[in-house]
Amino acid sequence: MRSTVIVTALGPDSHGLLARVATTIADQNANIDDVSQTVANGMFTMIMFVSFDQSETTMAELKDALARTGDEVGLQISVQHENIFRFMHRI
Amino acid sequence: MVFITAQEILETVHMIRSENLDVRAITMGISLDDCSERDPHRTAERVHAKIVRRAGRLVAVADELQEKYGVPIVNKRVSVTPVSDAAGCGDPSGYVAIAHAMDAAAEEIGIDFIGGFSALVQKGFTKSDTALIEAIPEAIGATRRVCSSVNVASTRAGINMDAVVRMADVLLAVAKRTADDDSIGCAKIVVFCNVPEDNPFMAGALHGSGEPEVSVNVAISGPGVVRNVVAAHPDASLIELADLIKRTTFKITRVGELVAREASEMLDAQMGIIDLSLAPTPAVGDSIAEILQVMGLEQPGAPGTTAALAMLNDAVKKGGTMATSSTGGLSGAFIPVCEDTAMARAAADGALSIEKLEAMTAVCSLGLDMIVVPGDTPRNALAGVIADVMAIGMINGKSTGARLIPAYGKKVGDWVTLGGLFGEGPVMAVSTSGNDAFVARGGRIPAPLQGLTN
Repeated sequence: MRSTVIVTALGPDSHGLLARVATTIADQNANIDDVSQTVANGMFTMIMFVSFDQSETTMAELKDALARTGDEVGLQISVQHENIFRFMHRI
Repeated sequence: MVFITAQEILETVHMIRSENLDVRAITMGISLDDCSERDPHRTAERVHAKIVRRAGRLVAVADELQEKYGVPIVNKRVSVTPVSDAAGCGDPSGYVAIAHAMDAAAEEIGIDFIGGFSALVQKGFTKSDTALIEAIPEAIGATRRVCSSVNVASTRAGINMDAVVRMADVLLAVAKRTADDDSIGCAKIVVFCNVPEDNPFMAGALHGSGEPEVSVNVAISGPGVVRNVVAAHPDASLIELADLIKRTTFKITRVGELVAREASEMLDAQMGIIDLSLAPTPAVGDSIAEILQVMGLEQPGAPGTTAALAMLNDAVKKGGTMATSSTGGLSGAFIPVCEDTAMARAAADGALSIEKLEAMTAVCSLGLDMIVVPGDTPRNALAGVIADVMAIGMINGKSTGARLIPAYGKKVGDWVTLGGLFGEGPVMAVSTSGNDAFVARGGRIPAPLQGLTN
């Protein structure tokens, strides 16, 4: 079964942040379906739609891997199932 | 496919990470109707077995949803059929055995509180009710997780003053019994008017007679989120502020609705209700009092507090009602003193009195909640305070409750630390004007005209 999660990464900007997060996701056999990224006043903000097959990785594994990367590069990274965003703002 | 904007995604993440947005409780309501046996010890065994069987996966499911959505689910709890109805036992010691069984089951499934050690006596006592109320001091004193509630009044029945007096005696007995822990036992007892049958919040949760076999009720939260929205708009007029609060509580409630739908399916239970209450915790930034402060009041208790709270409570309900068709429980802002750090500070500073809290009770949820009073408060004074709270609920056709802690050995101005989610606060003064002759009349205050709605 395929799941879609939304990965958000926030923190001070530095070189190669997008690449590090994307590499971690690729290493987990997950796919980046969409990405948007901005830097404003030195703050890096990135949103990724990431899908994966649950036979290849789990949400917990993806979370752990991204948390380790986040610690290394100074980003706060959240991984949440897409439904919370779809549900929260509209009926 | 619903389109999601980047702004919405970042707003959601910010609400969770920085503003304490959480789901306050998932409470599984379990019917004990099929657990009654002649021997109360056998009843206790069946109660234990049923709770463990039906709620054994509650914590695991909540943890799974927390992981999936990234929203903390703070409390996992169970409520049961009011035990005096379910057990039909005339022996207080039998009820104590059932309380121990509930406590053991709660420990086994990994939850901190279980509610429903309860009786509904607004019109009078059955033998079973009398025995349960007699058992409360030992049942609460000897267990850690069991919560008790007794409904002594309703808009349809009036106020059973004999029950009010008995509950005042119970509170004093529990306070003495748990004196070494600042009378913490009383924090697990609520006296109600118009008790809701589907309330997910402790200590007053119970699974009423109109409820299904098993249900899942969800309590939303989010005082921190509302506080920040209000604080970000210092120049908004009150009507604009009401609109902002509505929009915010809509979003908070949608999270509760999502969790309730999925949890009930995963637990093979009927989805119950979403309780729209804003419930504070002792954490800084998770406070109803702080919302009142950013609305423009120096401290809760300042002139205008009741008006501000009325607006807040109404806006929360309006936003929440649009987000779910399954409203229920208490659904209103809570105004506990000990569980809300800024509220406790206002009480310690003398800005907030029991009388002001009584006025605030008329426009919001629950009532005199987590209020510490002197340990030597006379029984009749305690009964009078409870009766006043019940009267507000009875006349206004709403749920009100009293959770009073007559802290044994403590005097006005002393500081009481209850710990954990119960928080801490000052001992507040109770009027010393006498009411003995009024309380001694006994009997029942008749149902008001408001009860004759047919």
